[in-house]
Amino acid sequence: MEKFSFKDVLVTFAGLLITAFIAWVLISATGNNPSEVALYLYEGGFKGTRNIANSLYQATPLILTAVATLISFRVGMFNIGINGSMYVGALYAGWAGYKFTTLGHFTHVTVCILIGMLVGAAWMLLPALLRVYAGVSEIISTIILNFVAVLFVSYMANGPFRADPIAPATPRILETAELKQIFPNSQFNTGFFIAVFVAILAHFVLNKTTFGYELRSGGDGLVGMYPSRFSSYLGIPSDRSAIIGMLISGALGGLAGAIEVLGAVRYFFQELEFNQGFDGILIGILGKLEPIGSVIASLFYGAIKNGGFYVDYKTDVSREIIIVLISILIFFVSAQKMVKGLEKYPFIKKLDNFFSRKKM
Amino acid sequence: MSKDIAIHLKNITKEYPGVVANKNVDFQVFKGEIHALVGENGAGKSTLMKILYGIEQPDEGEILINGELEQINKVETAINLGIGMVHQEFTLVPSFTAPENIGLGQEPRNSQGIIDWKGLNKLVVDIAEKYGFKVDPSLKMIDASVGVQQRTEILKTLYRNANILILDEPTAVLTPQETDELFTVIRTLVDEGKTVVFITHKLREVMEIADRVTVMRAGEVQGVSETKNTSIAELASQMVGREVFLQVKKDEAKPEEEILNVEDLWVHDARGLLAVKGVSLNIRKGEIVGIAGVEGNGQSELVEALTGLRKTSQGSINYLGENIASSSPKNIRRKKIAHIPEDRTNTGLNTQLSIWENLIGNSYFRKPLSTNGIFNLKKIAMHSNKLKEDFDIRAPNISLKVKSLSGGNQQKVVVARELSEDPILTIASQPTRGVDIGNIEAIHEQLVQMRDDGGAVLLVSAELDEVMAVADRVGVMYEGQIVKWVNPKEVDQSQMGLYMAGIKD
Repeated sequence: MEKFSFKDVLVTFAGLLITAFIAWVLISATGNNPSEVALYLYEGGFKGTRNIANSLYQATPLILTAVATLISFRVGMFNIGINGSMYVGALYAGWAGYKFTTLGHFTHVTVCILIGMLVGAAWMLLPALLRVYAGVSEIISTIILNFVAVLFVSYMANGPFRADPIAPATPRILETAELKQIFPNSQFNTGFFIAVFVAILAHFVLNKTTFGYELRSGGDGLVGMYPSRFSSYLGIPSDRSAIIGMLISGALGGLAGAIEVLGAVRYFFQELEFNQGFDGILIGILGKLEPIGSVIASLFYGAIKNGGFYVDYKTDVSREIIIVLISILIFFVSAQKMVKGLEKYPFIKKLDNFFSRKKM
Repeated sequence: MSKDIAIHLKNITKEYPGVVANKNVDFQVFKGEIHALVGENGAGKSTLMKILYGIEQPDEGEILINGELEQINKVETAINLGIGMVHQEFTLVPSFTAPENIGLGQEPRNSQGIIDWKGLNKLVVDIAEKYGFKVDPSLKMIDASVGVQQRTEILKTLYRNANILILDEPTAVLTPQETDELFTVIRTLVDEGKTVVFITHKLREVMEIADRVTVMRAGEVQGVSETKNTSIAELASQMVGREVFLQVKKDEAKPEEEILNVEDLWVHDARGLLAVKGVSLNIRKGEIVGIAGVEGNGQSELVEALTGLRKTSQGSINYLGENIASSSPKNIRRKKIAHIPEDRTNTGLNTQLSIWENLIGNSYFRKPLSTNGIFNLKKIAMHSNKLKEDFDIRAPNISLKVKSLSGGNQQKVVVARELSEDPILTIASQPTRGVDIGNIEAIHEQLVQMRDDGGAVLLVSAELDEVMAVADRVGVMYEGQIVKWVNPKEVDQSQMGLYMAGIKD
């Protein structure tokens, strides 16, 4: 994949500036004080242990869904059903969290996580097989499965897994299944470290192993280009790569859901709402489809998101405006062409060369 | 004799980041002439034409059209000045007919503002007849041959009243017959007073069709000459900057034992039609066997069957005594059969990957490049840099994406990879397509080297010159069969032309 260049840095900062300007206008127009909002946004994102912990907590599922997205993209599959995997992963991790009563802490957490991942992966099996053996566009089937997932988990929380006669929810998970919360008054939990570990592992596997090479030989930047003739020509079974890529992608979606339930919510209920599966697509692209880049983008996004909650709490500005601003930001940051032609200035060229130095 | 100057590009300089694409280029085309613009890939021909056509703006220089100084800063201006361009990649709507494509954006309308389809069809047929083409106004482009598509593109420019036509590598996609037809069309255009700029790197065509020729190299004009006063050899050395051996230097083949024996092979194509109908051939160690023929006569399917990319229907492929028909590409590759495919950008390479990632496609799984599934990036870098050097791949570093390389250098990546693992049998399909003359020479030398090192080579090419120069024995393929085996030293081009048209003696 393309490495980060100075141009990316420049685009990002230009995007930030433009977004800040638009934010200023928007917030002023709604009769609020922009500098006050900016201050609260900063404080909510970065000030104090609790806010930082909460920002990291917001980033946790995003890291996983972003890596899930980029893995599917890099095998040439366009998986936008990660949100669905997240729901079913969360549901079944929650189920395993109260169902197995005799396990020790470590085993119980591991079992819950594995079940969440397994179910998340299984959720992607159908679209993967349909794509490979019947030519059904995975874009369409995964979108549809997102709706199916919402209805399915809602049915399960209402029916078979329902514990509470008043609210449609599963029983609370046992203490042995909990991912520990480290800071008081924050939902930040050890799941964050799992997420970062997974991203590093993904970076290693994709870039430094023959398995990763086989996976992405058919895709890598050719999003939605499966099946690539290049891999079958080399004797790499591209069908297998596509299926495995989708399953890994689904498993990571399931993991994101499992961590939400085991680490923060502690039970599954009908109204539990996820959208990190969709945010992950944006963040994965923002991170240039590289795991490490996606971690950085997730941390940033998590901080803004948490800052948004704080702004919502402190001022009249609703947190939806934050979502609007993030969308504008991503729009501008993706606008690579904005700085096209700047390379001819020697200073920019020098910086560009510096930032894009290659190891090989 | 003084002539009117249709195009005069004066002192054009255009710089891209890191490269000077055009440097003080002076380019003149007389009214009513066929002017060839030749040069290797990356010599700056396309940039110059993009400037003329308003796609790119020059950093310096002036453009004079019919003696008037013009500012061409968008394509529309160029079209209004009577300049028409036929790009190498066609810009046609596949589901539209020829008139629909030609009229697109400038449809004749009746008084109610409704498109006058009949009038359009008649207009198009009239223009076509004037220049001696045939068009079928009801044929959709998706069903049309490449030649017909190209003629539609030319008509599109004529419909827009072009007086100056720029044809960008028009023969790259054509069969020899279609090329002849195109040349007839070009001559008619010039007879009707049009001016034609013909971009190519096939020098034989330059000599055949052009009145004058401008040679470019590395962004600069190397020379302008009248074709009657120059020779292919002279143009070639201007293009490459050194003496070029148009003949492949090789000794007599010393064939030894048989490596491949194909018997009565039948293969279906993607549409399920029979494409290969009972082909038998054998290749021995130390020889190059060529397959000539007009494209689309089953050569692609034959190669795909031999390399495992397509199932065979009947017959056997015996390789070192083992039948490998319908075996998987992986199995076939592991038996040391290399394959340089005809489709470079989608099959031979993943252009989104870096140079090194493309170079290790057939060796990444072996030691020392990887151990227990983990890459040894240092060893991979050494391996890739060595190939880059050995095969003269011109790139600043091996981490660059392949898509940023020129066509010739991309092909060198494919050739380097395929020849790197000591293949016993090398199957090369159109190995020099879209490759410039200096690199063609290098690839030919490498194939001969493979042979001399005791390899067996199958060379499939639509370029007759290439097969005749490189191969030791040549089979001519026509409609799925090999109609004739010849010794390339004993036949001439016109005889081969007859075989290629299916006439056996």
